[in-house]
Amino acid sequence: MIFAPQLKIGVNLLNANLKQAWRDKTNWMTAGMFAVTALLLYSFAFNLTGGLVRNLLPGVIWTVFLFSGIFATAQSFQQDRQDGILDALKISPIHPMTIYIAKTLANILMLLLIEFVLLLAATILFSEPLFTPQLLIIVTIGTIGYTALSTLLSAINLDRNNGGLLLPVLALPLLVPLLIASVEATSASLQQETSTAPWILLLSLFTIWSAAIATLMFPLAD
Amino acid sequence: MILKNIYGLRWKILPPAAGIAMIGMAALALVTAPTELIEGDVQRLLYVHLPSALASYFAFSVTAVCSVLFLLKRDFKWDSAAQGAALVGLIFTLLTLVTGSLWGKPIWGVYWQWDPRITTTLVLFLIFSAYLIARKSTSLDGDKLARFCSIYAIIGFLDIPLIHMSVRWWRTLHPQPIIAKFNPALPDEMLLVTLFSVLAVILVAAWFITLGIETELLSQRLLKLKAITKANISEKS
Repeated sequence: MIFAPQLKIGVNLLNANLKQAWRDKTNWMTAGMFAVTALLLYSFAFNLTGGLVRNLLPGVIWTVFLFSGIFATAQSFQQDRQDGILDALKISPIHPMTIYIAKTLANILMLLLIEFVLLLAATILFSEPLFTPQLLIIVTIGTIGYTALSTLLSAINLDRNNGGLLLPVLALPLLVPLLIASVEATSASLQQETSTAPWILLLSLFTIWSAAIATLMFPLAD
Repeated sequence: MILKNIYGLRWKILPPAAGIAMIGMAALALVTAPTELIEGDVQRLLYVHLPSALASYFAFSVTAVCSVLFLLKRDFKWDSAAQGAALVGLIFTLLTLVTGSLWGKPIWGVYWQWDPRITTTLVLFLIFSAYLIARKSTSLDGDKLARFCSIYAIIGFLDIPLIHMSVRWWRTLHPQPIIAKFNPALPDEMLLVTLFSVLAVILVAAWFITLGIETELLSQRLLKLKAITKANISEKS
């Protein structure tokens, strides 16, 4: 009963965030273009052809996801802050966790869209089966994990005088365990020689941990 | 009250205790401890490497606890304590990595291995390096910056159990636990020297943490005095 009003508000906030993201496509399209460009650069740098592809592709994909995701989520609260929406939300009866969850869910959905487009591009470029249900589940779980933490960190406007460099410096070390689990799970899925279950379990544990921590910490952050 | 009295004696207790313990540790580690049969004298790095790792965990624990206390009480002395302890933790983490590399080269043939425990220790170093870099951010006022850094320190601290468990989760080059188990695999003489070394390094870490806390508190006091002086001058003019 207590959660019902907050749930309704959360859904409305999510709709508002998604509409805002759709209207202001520049940020997300830039992240998408960065992801595709980075993928191409990696393919040139590592000469991703033949037998090497399957070994290197998981690391390439997840590095691209992380960098483009962090750059995209860095601006999460920027527009809200500039327009005074964040201040209005803070003094409203909306629980801070609701604000955070709505923003994070919107970021997750936009990032999943970018990542699925990237996986499609990688499938065509490298002739590897990247659109399997198992791989899509791994990508979804990993995206939830890193988006949860990077959205929390972007809530503090720490980057104003640092040219946008501070957020990746802060976020990436925290995300290394998640990255390792994601890459290993993706690799196991592509290689099909080892079981993916332990890595997916580990990835899920990291994701639950980061989402829970971020949700609990957000009310203290602002 | 008792704790306050003990804390008041910190400059009379910590420096001499740490100094005597370190001298004892050096003597025990270099002279008394027997030479390991297979690894030779390089194995004596254990008496620095392991205590440094534990001292870094201790320092980061102080950072995390002080960060929690700051978030609960919003008293800046806890924030200063967290910052002072984080720097000490960072120094001991670096010492752990360096001594590990020096030990690894003659034994494993390489200075570095990407095994889980070493890698996650490096990650811990990066996390708290980022914490100290964020501390120097000038875009936020004191309260907001302190809150953010406290949150970041708590999240970063939760990486420590991952380091500890990594040896048990994955197959790795790093030795399996030889002390923190029911029947330690070290001979008694080495075990005693190791435990004494841990005590000595923890005392040094405690001393450095106290120095770090006092430095940060004085720094905050100086900033406040500067602000008051500036305000007084503006009023008069």
